[in-house]
Amino acid sequence: MSLRSDVIPASTEGEELRLGLYRIVTTVLAYAIPGVFILLPLVLFLVQSFFYVDHGVEVRELTLRNYTRFFSDAAFVPVFLRTCLLCLAVSAICLILAYPVAYLLASLQGRRKYVMTLVFVVPLMMSYIIKIYAIRAILGGNGFLNRILLFLGVIDQPLGFLIFNLQAVALTLAVLLLPFAILPIFIALERIPRNILDASADLGASSWQTFRKVIWPLSLQGTIVAATFAFVLALGDFVTPQMVGGTSGMTFGRIIYSQFGFAFNWPFGAALSVVLLVLVLAVLLLTSLFARARHQL
Amino acid sequence: MIRISRTATAVLGIIAGFVLLVLYGPLLVAVFFSFFGFQNNAVQWDSFSFAAYAALANDEGIIEAVVNTLIVGAAAVGLALVLGTALAFHYNGSRSRFREALQLVIFLPFLMPPIITGLSLLIFFREADIPRSLWTVVIGHTVFVLALVYRIVLTRLQSLRSSLVEASLDLGASRWQTFRYVLLPSLLPAIGSAAILAFALSFDETLITLLVTGTDSTLPMRLWGMMRMGFTPDINALVALILVGSTLLALLAIRFVKLPTQQ
Repeated sequence: MSLRSDVIPASTEGEELRLGLYRIVTTVLAYAIPGVFILLPLVLFLVQSFFYVDHGVEVRELTLRNYTRFFSDAAFVPVFLRTCLLCLAVSAICLILAYPVAYLLASLQGRRKYVMTLVFVVPLMMSYIIKIYAIRAILGGNGFLNRILLFLGVIDQPLGFLIFNLQAVALTLAVLLLPFAILPIFIALERIPRNILDASADLGASSWQTFRKVIWPLSLQGTIVAATFAFVLALGDFVTPQMVGGTSGMTFGRIIYSQFGFAFNWPFGAALSVVLLVLVLAVLLLTSLFARARHQL
Repeated sequence: MIRISRTATAVLGIIAGFVLLVLYGPLLVAVFFSFFGFQNNAVQWDSFSFAAYAALANDEGIIEAVVNTLIVGAAAVGLALVLGTALAFHYNGSRSRFREALQLVIFLPFLMPPIITGLSLLIFFREADIPRSLWTVVIGHTVFVLALVYRIVLTRLQSLRSSLVEASLDLGASRWQTFRYVLLPSLLPAIGSAAILAFALSFDETLITLLVTGTDSTLPMRLWGMMRMGFTPDINALVALILVGSTLLALLAIRFVKLPTQQ
């Protein structure tokens, strides 16, 4: 822990030496721990994607065959594209619902704002898989929604299309990721300086005009961050599709996970994850470029 | 503060109500059925009981899983607090060109999808010959929540005036005394909120856990296994208890976490 070193008087030579030694040790530690537990695993993971499996045995030679298999085998690219579309849909649903909620929260005052914000954030503090369980219990063939509809006489057979398909995956993911989308938009809205809003009102703008010309442009960056959050988190998920997707709800994340489970082809799984990672990095890069471009306006 | 018209408030209120319904509806339905039975497409209103809770209390597998999850959360938060604070101090005091690169590495597990972090660690543990256990889960969670702790502590640290440290040193305090009696007390609220948020994140985290877990069962793993065999009704009681726990944690967080509303 090096404090502001320039203000620390090093009086004697021995103390200076000890201080120098101390600084070297802390610096080495500061780089070593993230290096070993974050960077090194990522490097190993990248290298793994260039190995291959032959008759159940991992061959440690660098080849591109995993990547050519991804692009040439007709089974993978369509699932990849479908997963991207799915996550775009999730992201869109999240934004459409999160923006009005964040806007309402930002318009509340004092304690009410505080408490209501918390109400929308509490679901983030619950176990992910518990939430999926609860949603599954609602949507299932034997689930609460079907039971209610049966009870009310709206239907006489349980609806089967509520669960175990891609729509169910999209809806469940949207519910799970909504709080993640609300927060960045809310923070962006809160950061808008009050005097700008006052100025807009003083100059005779209606609340709609103020929104359209002032608030929306200023909150766009947070909105895009929210969309990116939802998209990236949805993309890598394999638990939700596995639990509510059934056989028709195959997603890219599930295919990756299965390579590390029963398919037991780690190099291929790693290569598929690298494809996923490249897409994520591209999305993050686009987001930050956009943010910077707006910043310069 | 944003001003909106009455009509707009009503429309936004309806949407917010709908969002609350989808966020809490499933949870509350589960809570409801932890007390009441359901037969022949009708709620058994006379069947109110704590049977599900009693069954949960007797389910040793679930209790062990919950305890393991709490242990992992506490251990990961403890490690992340020490590491994150140390790294924040390092960044703040360093003038090295590499400090930005180091910061990026710290943020990586937070920016990437959890599946990438989980798989990298899985491969790393195999290469390093570290058997998967509760400890590998702790490492996974520490790496995941580190960025959050680091960011919160660093923000607070950068807002402190350097004259504070200078005064302390001028008055003859040692570096350790300055840290212990001047910096640490000013950082405590930040560290407290970081701890709560990190614990909540760790409790919620499922993807990394499932990838790096060993045979010691934690909550995500237990429920993941149940998915194949079928859920027992006492899981509804678990949903209720977790909902209560999370709400209490959130109320605790109010005491520490400052939303950006207070300017």
